[in-house]
Amino acid sequence: MTDAATATAPVKRRTLSGMNPAVGVATVVVVIMAVIYLVGGKDQGLVTQSLVSGLLLGGVYALISVGLTLIFGVLGIVNFAQGAMLTMAMYIVYALSTAGLPVYLATVIAVPLMFVFGMIVQATLLTKLTISGSHDGPLLVTLGLSLLIINVLLMIFGGRPKSVQAPIDGSVSILGAVASWPRVLAFIGAALVAVALTAVLKRTPLGLSIRAVASNSEGAKLVGVDIGRVYALTFGIGAACVAVAGGLMTPFTSLTPSVGEQFTILAFVIVVLGGLGSVVGAVIGGLVIGLVQTVGALFLPGTGSLILVFAVFILVLFLKPEGLYGARR
Amino acid sequence: MKKLVGVLTAVAVMGAAACGSSSGSDDSGSIKIGSVHPTTGALAGVGGLMNDGAALAVADINAAGGISSLEGRQLELVSGDSQGKAEVGQSEAQRLIDEGAVALVGTYQSDVTQNVASVAERSRVPLVIDVAVDDKILDQGYQYSFRMQPNASSMGTDGAKALAAIGQQTGQSIDKVSYLHIEGSFGDSVFNAFEAEAANQGISSVQEITYPATNFSDATTQVREAAVSNPDVIVATGYYPDGLLIAKAVQQLNLKVKGVYGIANGAFDDSSFPAAAGAAGEGVLSANYHFDATSERTNEIRGRFQQQFGRPMETAAMLSYQAVEVIAAGLEDGKDTDPEALRDAISGVSIEDPLLAFDGPIEFDETGQNKNATVIVMQVRDGAVAQVFPAEFATDAIEFPVGAGQ
Repeated sequence: MTDAATATAPVKRRTLSGMNPAVGVATVVVVIMAVIYLVGGKDQGLVTQSLVSGLLLGGVYALISVGLTLIFGVLGIVNFAQGAMLTMAMYIVYALSTAGLPVYLATVIAVPLMFVFGMIVQATLLTKLTISGSHDGPLLVTLGLSLLIINVLLMIFGGRPKSVQAPIDGSVSILGAVASWPRVLAFIGAALVAVALTAVLKRTPLGLSIRAVASNSEGAKLVGVDIGRVYALTFGIGAACVAVAGGLMTPFTSLTPSVGEQFTILAFVIVVLGGLGSVVGAVIGGLVIGLVQTVGALFLPGTGSLILVFAVFILVLFLKPEGLYGARR
Repeated sequence: MKKLVGVLTAVAVMGAAACGSSSGSDDSGSIKIGSVHPTTGALAGVGGLMNDGAALAVADINAAGGISSLEGRQLELVSGDSQGKAEVGQSEAQRLIDEGAVALVGTYQSDVTQNVASVAERSRVPLVIDVAVDDKILDQGYQYSFRMQPNASSMGTDGAKALAAIGQQTGQSIDKVSYLHIEGSFGDSVFNAFEAEAANQGISSVQEITYPATNFSDATTQVREAAVSNPDVIVATGYYPDGLLIAKAVQQLNLKVKGVYGIANGAFDDSSFPAAAGAAGEGVLSANYHFDATSERTNEIRGRFQQQFGRPMETAAMLSYQAVEVIAAGLEDGKDTDPEALRDAISGVSIEDPLLAFDGPIEFDETGQNKNATVIVMQVRDGAVAQVFPAEFATDAIEFPVGAGQ
């Protein structure tokens, strides 16, 4: 018994790391779901509902995390303002929609606005610190920026919860589970952003210079890449991603100036889980965390599901410290 | 050792006495009242409203001639920002007392209030709690804290009674309920009181489902789980964002329930809820303490508040207004600005015609709890929050069952 266990363990580990992480994660998820369906002792419709809700919630998490993973992976900046930037994007969409624009059109306008905002923030506040390689500098600057954004929003909009109605309301039935249209659209948006971002990184000259700067900024500078510009563009893209996230989330979120804060920590968990700088990793990580949180809530009420999220996080880091899609450094 | 303790105690008492006299002896200028609310952070919206409510009360009292038994001395509001954090609230309360506040009002959150109440007790300065529901705050045996609103357990109990009464009045049987509540002492204590009283009221089963206070952005799983036992009514206790998510999820899942019923729910009777929830909000019931919409004085104050601050005066702000009135009544009756004399006067006040829908005047029992605090039931009718139960406070007829269960 003991011999067999020790004999199989290394084999198992080899297959785990050799496999495409997506296949591995999918296998684990399918096995766990099968177990829950068969012996979980829960109503089947309820399990399906939690599965669908979890995937949709995971899509939202993924959307918030892809921008963060880019900033984290390329610039090495721990961007504590990610949640506040998300809130800022939501309020831009709110302001535009109270002016009469439909939410999704307002989102399209908010994206370039946030892109420019991100570029300005990086160029004015962060580039010097990034080049000097300081770690706590950017951390403090983004923390300060986060406080500034939250309090300016509080000053302008007040703290009363605001809401935005989606032009497409109602819900759709997926395998007997109910999913609201705005959440489905957010999920589709997350998938599109992930595909578009991967394409930009892999197939455009900009993507090439971003990847070059990410892997060796000194070398990139020597071959003539304007790294200050790449830094600014990268932060801008990160900000544009949260703009998409914020816009797609406004129809099902109550807006208060601190609403984005709760996502910051989860987004970091997802980014590290997926592997620093990996867009695909952020998407898979987001989906996994969404599923764990929602399906876990069936068995562990209250904060229990969040504890489960952190348990999975620690487990993955233990088995694969570089994250699902991270390169070994 | 004993000597040292004695000396230290004496120094502390003298220090406290010196503080007390420095605030009490200043009998020429205005009388300072400290206000501690979360004016920044996640709860800044309601915190700001509450601070404005207290400010409006001070302005009204001053405009009417100040405290007449003290030669018309004026009141002055000194404000502190708790940021929604217990330790910040505590230091802010201390600061306001050091600046000469003879009484405090606050704070909205139970944990912050608990800390501020201990400061009030130590400094021997009265605290009139406007909003903070947890039973524990007054269970400490504090002498300087007073609360006007019902506590958590009485809200749970009265909520169960009102639900059963609504069932009887409308001829609907209510046997099974599913109860969704936020995790933590607030949700737990309201739920436990409800569960105990529900059994007395003939509600045979109560299913409990809890959700986390943070990172809760989708309620569909929890609401679907609540539906598994085929409840007659879904009951919910929590704050604004989670309450809104629950109402929306009930609608999306198209549940066959007779109604959604909030107890001490931060969303369902908020004036912004009907617009935010849209169709999901229509018919939602809410048992809560509430400003008295049948009172002329209440409506007059709400009208002026809206005009001055450009926002509707929610119940919490009305309670802050009333808390300042309680302190003013204490000053008027006690004819003294010394905090200890003021405490004694407040413990004996009786405020007829309260601004809240209460069963009688505001009077405090020996624990500092308002003896006549009650909940009433509101319902969203045609996109607005109306009072529907009991009949004496009703501004509109109740509709039950509502929605898909009809």
